[in-house]
Amino acid sequence: MDRLHSLEESLPSSPLHWKRFRVHFAIIIFLLFIPAFVKSIYVIDLLIVCNVWAVFLSSWDLLTGYTGQISFGHSLFIGGGAYTAGFLSFYLGVPFWVTIPLGGCVAAILGFGLGMPALRLKGPYLALATFAASAVLHGLSAVFWEYSGGEDGLYGVAPLTRDYVVKYYWSVILMVLCSGFLLFLVNSQYGLILKSIREDESGAEASGINVTKYKVLTFVMSGFLAGVAGAFYGHAQMHVGTDLLSLHLSIMVVLMSVAGGMGTIVGPIVAGYLLILLNEWLRVIEVVRVLIYSFSVVLILLFIPKGIVPTIISGVEALINKMKFQSGS
Amino acid sequence: MVSFLEILVYGAVQSSVYAMLAVGFSLIFGVAGVVNLAHTAFYMVGAYLIYTAFSVSGLNLILSLVISVVLTGILGLLVQHLCVRPLIRSEYSVMIITVALAMFFQEVLLSTFGPVDRNLTNFYEATYRLFGMVTIDAQRLLTLLVAIFLIICLWLFIKRTKFGRAIQAVAQDREGAVFMGINPNRVYLQVMFISACLAAIAGAFIAPTLGARPHMWEHPLVRVFICVVLGGLGSLEGTILAAIIIGYTEVIVAFMLSAYLGELVAVAIILFVLTVRPTGLMGRRAA
Amino acid sequence: MDALLQVEGLAKRFGGLDAVFDLDFTVEAGEIMGMIGPNGAGKTTVFNLLTGFLEPTKGDITFKGENIVNRKPNQIVDRGISRTFQIVRPFLNMTVLENVLVPLQAPKNRKVNKGRMENQRRAAGLLEQVELADKMLLLAADLSHGDLKRLEVARSLAAKPDLLLLDEPFSGLATKEISALSDLIKNLNDDGLTIILIEHKLRELMKLVKRVITLNFGVKIADGTPEEIAKNEAVIEAYLGKGGERFVTS
Repeated sequence: MDRLHSLEESLPSSPLHWKRFRVHFAIIIFLLFIPAFVKSIYVIDLLIVCNVWAVFLSSWDLLTGYTGQISFGHSLFIGGGAYTAGFLSFYLGVPFWVTIPLGGCVAAILGFGLGMPALRLKGPYLALATFAASAVLHGLSAVFWEYSGGEDGLYGVAPLTRDYVVKYYWSVILMVLCSGFLLFLVNSQYGLILKSIREDESGAEASGINVTKYKVLTFVMSGFLAGVAGAFYGHAQMHVGTDLLSLHLSIMVVLMSVAGGMGTIVGPIVAGYLLILLNEWLRVIEVVRVLIYSFSVVLILLFIPKGIVPTIISGVEALINKMKFQSGS
Repeated sequence: MVSFLEILVYGAVQSSVYAMLAVGFSLIFGVAGVVNLAHTAFYMVGAYLIYTAFSVSGLNLILSLVISVVLTGILGLLVQHLCVRPLIRSEYSVMIITVALAMFFQEVLLSTFGPVDRNLTNFYEATYRLFGMVTIDAQRLLTLLVAIFLIICLWLFIKRTKFGRAIQAVAQDREGAVFMGINPNRVYLQVMFISACLAAIAGAFIAPTLGARPHMWEHPLVRVFICVVLGGLGSLEGTILAAIIIGYTEVIVAFMLSAYLGELVAVAIILFVLTVRPTGLMGRRAA
Repeated sequence: MDALLQVEGLAKRFGGLDAVFDLDFTVEAGEIMGMIGPNGAGKTTVFNLLTGFLEPTKGDITFKGENIVNRKPNQIVDRGISRTFQIVRPFLNMTVLENVLVPLQAPKNRKVNKGRMENQRRAAGLLEQVELADKMLLLAADLSHGDLKRLEVARSLAAKPDLLLLDEPFSGLATKEISALSDLIKNLNDDGLTIILIEHKLRELMKLVKRVITLNFGVKIADGTPEEIAKNEAVIEAYLGKGGERFVTS
């Protein structure tokens, strides 16, 4: 009885307990207060982009970092959602609060479409399939250039609002809702299932997990969130273009998330903010910018492969342990 | 009748470029298990190097080619040794670091040369009439001939020489090769060098026709990857066959329907194939 | 009463090789049966066929009265068959506790939606049974081979099986560990769990089981009590070659 009791004590508390998220809440509050002391449209706009990218990156992390489904085709979802919203808004005048969820739904369907054949694919084959899928959509936008605007895309997508501060708050809401959902998901028991699929699919099957169902579900969810963010972005920029369907975009998503730390949700988000802001800030010194921005990922992969956030967390933990040890507690 | 011959000739040119690029990719993939997503970045570097040496500085053609190829080859060695080798245990990490490198090369070139398309001077100005009916310029014809020549050379090298046999040995059974006294890491370096050189040659020869842009590595990457998977991992013959299929299908669709649809062909084919046969058409090794 | 598991005419062919051929056997509820045979005899293949990891070329597998051929592995776990693997395959980057939590997520266990805390308690209880509870917060990657073997057992029990398939649970274990695990297996069987055990450590196996079937080259060559099997000529020949009975001293 004593033994069981001491066991119970050492069981980890629920990862969903709100106390665990104190830092996250603090950051959100900080984000909400930014327009109070930042007046530059340029910076606010940049932060809107950061918030949108946070969703691009964290939705990718769900699929690749947590479930182990290597995706180099995230622009399929982002662009799919963006163009859906773009078409609906440009040709049919549908308001943004309808186009954005619809954009997510279309991207979710694309996720289902990609998820089914992806079931049997692994490693480079899966990577290629995701490359190809987004290339198909890109190609289609060229084939139907009269509707999609071809290379230039569609200008004249309805804006979210004329007020850039309001737009900023909308983007914060988007980021908090989507990333919050993802954090909730991965810390729940659902997250355990995803991780088990990443670690060993056969082992997960042997544990009674319906791997097929969860893989497809993850493709759909990842797609939906990325699509919503893409659609939001289209309205925020009042423009949808082929850059949202490009290989370049997919690759940037991969690199930024990896730099931040895969399988953490938070890591990619942090890396997104850091890299986007750093990229702008360093524009003054072009050479340095190029080196730091694009070479940093290579260095991270070689020297801190776990990514920025996990490495920092480990470092802080080690430091705390060392201090505890030294103070003799 | 003219169209048929045009397709025959232009399809051959298209296929030959894909083949030249794809065999390098296939080689390093089949031998070392390395998915080198920076492969077409080498192609791009080769193109820019020859642009700088030949078109801008006006150096002798042969010298320019040598510079372009050798420097790119050395770049390949550096990439393999410094970036790929430490991560070689994880296929996935290799993909990511090589794509990061490709991005890096792109950014450096973008910084140095700007986003504008660079036009290169043709190596030899002339046009020919093939079969009396199809016009083709010297550059394209030269590309085709060089590609065929190099592929044959590569073939002979792999099948007939000592180095080639070492490469085959490592590809089939790495541990076994070690027991035979072969150093796999050295083989990987050799293969990467050859692979990068081939990519650079492809870039150098096709650049006068297509121009050089910092994003030029993206489009061929997917197609080269497709050729290798379609042909089956580890199969050089398969890759070449796939390059021919993809090259011709693209040209046929572009001629008959539209250039835009031609772009879609390769990706549509591979998606279909991967859905039906997850290991490609002629692959030896399973996924 | 119908047997818990009935295997009839089971066969599996790989290219030109019959890994398993015309295999018949039944297992009654509450039995503990051993499956032995030289390496390559097809024992693990049988487990793979029973658990849906391989599709049989021919034959029927009936479990609790239902034909389970063509069912996917997770569906078979759902119906009550659980297994361990010959070469351990833990979820390396997850903790020991999490490793056991995963099978608790299977639909069978989730029918009554247990919260995380409740599941953690159940997982801890299972880890207690295999004496791994004090390591429960360690990463699986940091465990010793013996511990990993016990983790495999805990995970297979988490699925609440009616039939447990153990594939060489004693391999790589020290004598003390074997004896502890053996006691656990005996207790599980005493509590009513039906078990099939593949093992090479024949002495330990024979002490545990009441019945043994022997495979060689994919074919069943003997079926009987441990005493009968030990004296069976075909079995001795399979392991020791022709005239091998001279090596058997007892």
